[in-house]
Amino acid sequence: MRLQDPPKEVSRPIRVGILANPASGRDIRRVISKASVFPTAEKCNMIQRLMGALTVCGVDEAWMMPDKGGIATVIKRFGQTPEGKRLLPVQFTDTDIMEIPEDTRLSVRAMIAAGIRAIIVLGGDGTHRLVAEECGEIPMATLSTGTNNSFPELREATLSGLAAGLVATERLNLDDVTRREKRLLVEVNGETRGMALVDACISADMFVAAKAVWQVEQLRELYVTFASSEAIGLSSIASLVNPVGRDEDHGLGVQMDPEATQKVMAPIAPGLFAKLGIQRWDELQLGSSWAPTIDRGVIALDGEREIEFRAVDNVRLSMDRLGPRVIDVSKALGAAAKQGIMLSDSNE
Amino acid sequence: MNLNEAQLLQAYRKMRQIRAFEDRVHDEFATGEIPGFVHLYAGEEASAVGFCMHLNDEDRIASTHRGHGHCIAKGVEIKGMMSEIYGRRNGTCAGKGGSMHIADLEKGMMGANGIVGAGPPLICGAGLAAKFRKNGGVAIAFVGDGGSNQGTTLESLNLATVWNLPCIFVAENNGYAESTGSKWSVSCENIADRAAAFGMPGVVVDGHDFFAVYEVAGEAIKRAREGGGPTLIECKLNRYYGHFEGDAQTYRGVDEVKKVKESKDCLMLFSKRVTEQGLLTQAQLDAIDKEVAAEIEASVAHAKSSAKPTSADLMTDVYVSYP
Repeated sequence: MRLQDPPKEVSRPIRVGILANPASGRDIRRVISKASVFPTAEKCNMIQRLMGALTVCGVDEAWMMPDKGGIATVIKRFGQTPEGKRLLPVQFTDTDIMEIPEDTRLSVRAMIAAGIRAIIVLGGDGTHRLVAEECGEIPMATLSTGTNNSFPELREATLSGLAAGLVATERLNLDDVTRREKRLLVEVNGETRGMALVDACISADMFVAAKAVWQVEQLRELYVTFASSEAIGLSSIASLVNPVGRDEDHGLGVQMDPEATQKVMAPIAPGLFAKLGIQRWDELQLGSSWAPTIDRGVIALDGEREIEFRAVDNVRLSMDRLGPRVIDVSKALGAAAKQGIMLSDSNE
Repeated sequence: MNLNEAQLLQAYRKMRQIRAFEDRVHDEFATGEIPGFVHLYAGEEASAVGFCMHLNDEDRIASTHRGHGHCIAKGVEIKGMMSEIYGRRNGTCAGKGGSMHIADLEKGMMGANGIVGAGPPLICGAGLAAKFRKNGGVAIAFVGDGGSNQGTTLESLNLATVWNLPCIFVAENNGYAESTGSKWSVSCENIADRAAAFGMPGVVVDGHDFFAVYEVAGEAIKRAREGGGPTLIECKLNRYYGHFEGDAQTYRGVDEVKKVKESKDCLMLFSKRVTEQGLLTQAQLDAIDKEVAAEIEASVAHAKSSAKPTSADLMTDVYVSYP
């Protein structure tokens, strides 16, 4: 069962990337805050559901990252009819999986080289950040399977797959249904070392270690592209002093000090609240750049410690709106309904 | 998470001791002088050290057939271990256990174990004892990906939750149960995912990264000491040698180990991080390497020159003599 062909001629094959992080939702926060586990089986179910939507849209092929036996194996085994016919042909990138973040980057590059028209990401903020670093102009649909997810949406995969399929088959006007996201860039000694989609946090910690940030005593500065009042994680700190929308052309910088008299009680992880001293906060303008106020520490990107720096390093942060092009699923499905894309005169 | 200079030096020394010990046993085994089987832990050092640095002699660990690293990390004396592997009378267990049965209860090391999945039930007992004694003790069982599939392990996960024991189950997933890939023999992508079914937290950690292991271990152990109950932690890591010495490893990719050594070796990652951050100098690390090399050399010489058990030792150490 498929939708009628799009009104204009679309070059084929139409390929869509699916990037599912098998490791998301399994970090130290399971121990310290009872954070939920997102089972691999459910990730596989989500992929199969969104593949159903891609098939309905007339997508020809899905491209996926291989892994060491979890998601890829299930998709190979079950992504087909009882007669052995695939619901949607799937290709796996030839990434040599090392179980490191670079796997994601290399896989996205390979998918782009294969000509994908959209990419659907299943993961947490960290996974989406890695994909965003590589995906350029390829529209991204986001699905949350991590822990503290501010960037990706908690949404039924079928609908995200449908929105991505409608975009990939060029039934919808890209500019009408996608949003260019803000981003924070971190430069160390003139070299770009990382990007955050939601928040960059400076702590007086010494080590990246288990990555997740949850000990607030060491936090000194927080910079956010947006801060929703419904957010959980570090951006909730900013949202509770001055919320910032995704569409607003500014972000927020928050200076923290354990000795400050003004405190905020923020949900920094699922089930875990922390009281933080707030010294001041300021709007961050697009195009602005700044240096951390401490000379040694760790920078966390979207809630994960990533970059260790010391006094001799020249660290600069900046914010712009050159982040990924994200599919607004609500807008996409609304536009599809308005344009009658899902209507048909045929019984086929 | 912060570590001072002494702690960093201790971590590096322990990991280097394990690596040097295992590399030397690998060489010595090839000479035919070592009796029995040996299973080497090289490549997995960050896991043993990351956990055991949080423990004291009252805390218990139970190990696997690949137990040398756990023994060293828990403080078992290296000379005694080497003699034990050589089957000498002055070995840790009087030369009667060999590689797979090194135990030192004074150090809280309940033993390497030739039976896959035998450690988890043992630490349930140790955990129960600590709970009754109210001494804040914890017990840790290390198992491999193969051991994680054993009924003994799964029963222990259940029991530890039911009794809310101060136990940590560490699944050292090196990708192979003997020669069978874990992707074929483990029903889920992450062994830690099984924790949810037993009502305990499950965490996946990069077992090559000492700092990541140390932090996760610290939180789980703290939680257990405070009565929070058990945790299942999966360390994803790699072993550098075969399942046993003599294993031709035809089931592994040609460059598999080489790539891991070049990109994820735990000693390399540790050294790079602490020197780049200015926390330790290369000279400090080099000095430890030198001292450890001498220590291992001495342990081999000591073992080779030591006496073997005699027929008179046959009936000693068979039963525990209770007062």
